[in-house]
Amino acid sequence: MTVLEARNISYKYSVGTPFEMTALNNINLKVEKGEMLAIIGHTGSGKSTLIQHFNALLKPSEGQILLYGKDINESKETAHAARFKVGLCFQYPEYQLFEDTVYKDIAFGPGNMGLDKTEIDMRVRRAASFVGLNENMLQKSPFDLSGGEKRRAAIAGVMAMEPEVLIMDEPAAGLDPKGRRVILDLIKNYRRQTGSTVIIVSHSMEDVAEIAEKIAVLNHGELAMYGTVDRVFERSSELCDMGLNIPQITRIFTELNKCGFGLNKAVYTVEQAERELTEYLHKGGKSND
Amino acid sequence: MIKDITIGQYFPGNSFVHKLDPRAKLIITFAAIIEIFVCKNFLSLAVIVLFTAVAVIVSRISLKVMLKGLKMIYFLIVLMSALQIFYNEDGDILVEWWKIKITTGGVYTAIFMAVRIITLIFISSLLTYTTSPTALTDGIERILSPLKLIKVPVDTLAMMMSIALRFIPTLIDEIDKIMSAQKARGADLETGGIVKRAKALIPIFIPLFVNSFRRAYELAFAMECRCYNGGNHRTRMKQMKLSWRDWVMFVILAVMLAGIILLNHFFGEII
Repeated sequence: MTVLEARNISYKYSVGTPFEMTALNNINLKVEKGEMLAIIGHTGSGKSTLIQHFNALLKPSEGQILLYGKDINESKETAHAARFKVGLCFQYPEYQLFEDTVYKDIAFGPGNMGLDKTEIDMRVRRAASFVGLNENMLQKSPFDLSGGEKRRAAIAGVMAMEPEVLIMDEPAAGLDPKGRRVILDLIKNYRRQTGSTVIIVSHSMEDVAEIAEKIAVLNHGELAMYGTVDRVFERSSELCDMGLNIPQITRIFTELNKCGFGLNKAVYTVEQAERELTEYLHKGGKSND
Repeated sequence: MIKDITIGQYFPGNSFVHKLDPRAKLIITFAAIIEIFVCKNFLSLAVIVLFTAVAVIVSRISLKVMLKGLKMIYFLIVLMSALQIFYNEDGDILVEWWKIKITTGGVYTAIFMAVRIITLIFISSLLTYTTSPTALTDGIERILSPLKLIKVPVDTLAMMMSIALRFIPTLIDEIDKIMSAQKARGADLETGGIVKRAKALIPIFIPLFVNSFRRAYELAFAMECRCYNGGNHRTRMKQMKLSWRDWVMFVILAVMLAGIILLNHFFGEII
């Protein structure tokens, strides 16, 4: 079932001024329920602009955004309602924390939804447990947390609205490897437990390869590729031409294939590579010695 | 909405107005503003209006941009003109209805005041439109430098001012970002009474202040790392020099002042 659909979306900045610029050009995209989609593209390719359309923060110059088949920009009410159904977590979300305790900050979104106190309390605790913040931390000021904890608190603030689609813009940007690991695990965990649809924007191919099922590649405001992870990484040379980095392991396999090894092109995790190579050696790949 | 703010905006260019020395430009603007207030009748006002019009044309700043600067004070202009029209009782009566009298004196003064305010805004926005913020603060610093004699820290003040100007666009961007982020969490910034709207600003201003303080510390450290320690004895890469253009402008301003005083004297005063 299709949850979210972008139909012929185009978006222009500063229309009618000398600075007019097309940020998105005729994008068509369908997101199925429970799917994990990754949107990739280099800086300025329109990724962030696109996701701000999904919860009606931006209104497309042309085209429609459909949530369960209904245009979200139909009226002010539908646009406002879309904010709760499609949770958007911006890049560096820790810079939006403002309350005096972490608890209150996470409760801001659910509070805006007009839920009652017990429901808000339940949601805050559930979201906090998803991101691994304990009771003690909930009573602290968000400004006393460490960088990684702040990030998780901010993510919890969006998760607590329990949106049907969760969108995250570069959730692991600027974190150390351990912090990055924690964020990726919590996204996986969140999906497993809630079965929600998740969209992440990233330019780390390693992260995308690890958690996504489908990939949409944006280039100069156009949808350059869209398909399963296998299909997209098969076209690794095109990705490189767009200035995107493919996972290291994929690069090794591309180079190996250039040397005449007939290996699978769509290898993007170390586990897959191990399997592929073992199989190759068993089949008598040693003949290349 | 926030993007409409034009304060401190600068449009790079290569015109006569752009090329003037920032110090000279500051003095010229100041002198022109004084001359606007010296004007007592339409003829003398026409002199300064003509001067402004020529300056705008020469600067190649589009009229649209100039008019945008008026947006903030439309209301003020209308209010002042309206007050003049209804309360000034000089001259012949044009319309009389119940207690309201509209007189020629009122209409003339209203038009006079409106033209005066618009010219004032045009002249002063032309200064910021054609001078980069750094050049402007350098200019202010140089003009105020005699105050160093009485121990006013002019260079430090100038540095503070240029940093403040430099961060206006950054802050505007940041407000935009925080607003989007809070809207994504369902914050309602557009509806409700004045109290509700004021409350809705808390989630925007707290992160803004927190980030600004953090940025201020980082900037201070970065400046110290590059050995900044107050403004004393700092030399500059670009030395300012008055050119023939600046002297020509000074002469024009002086001639204009003389002309305005003469016109005031010979053609009567309406204010």
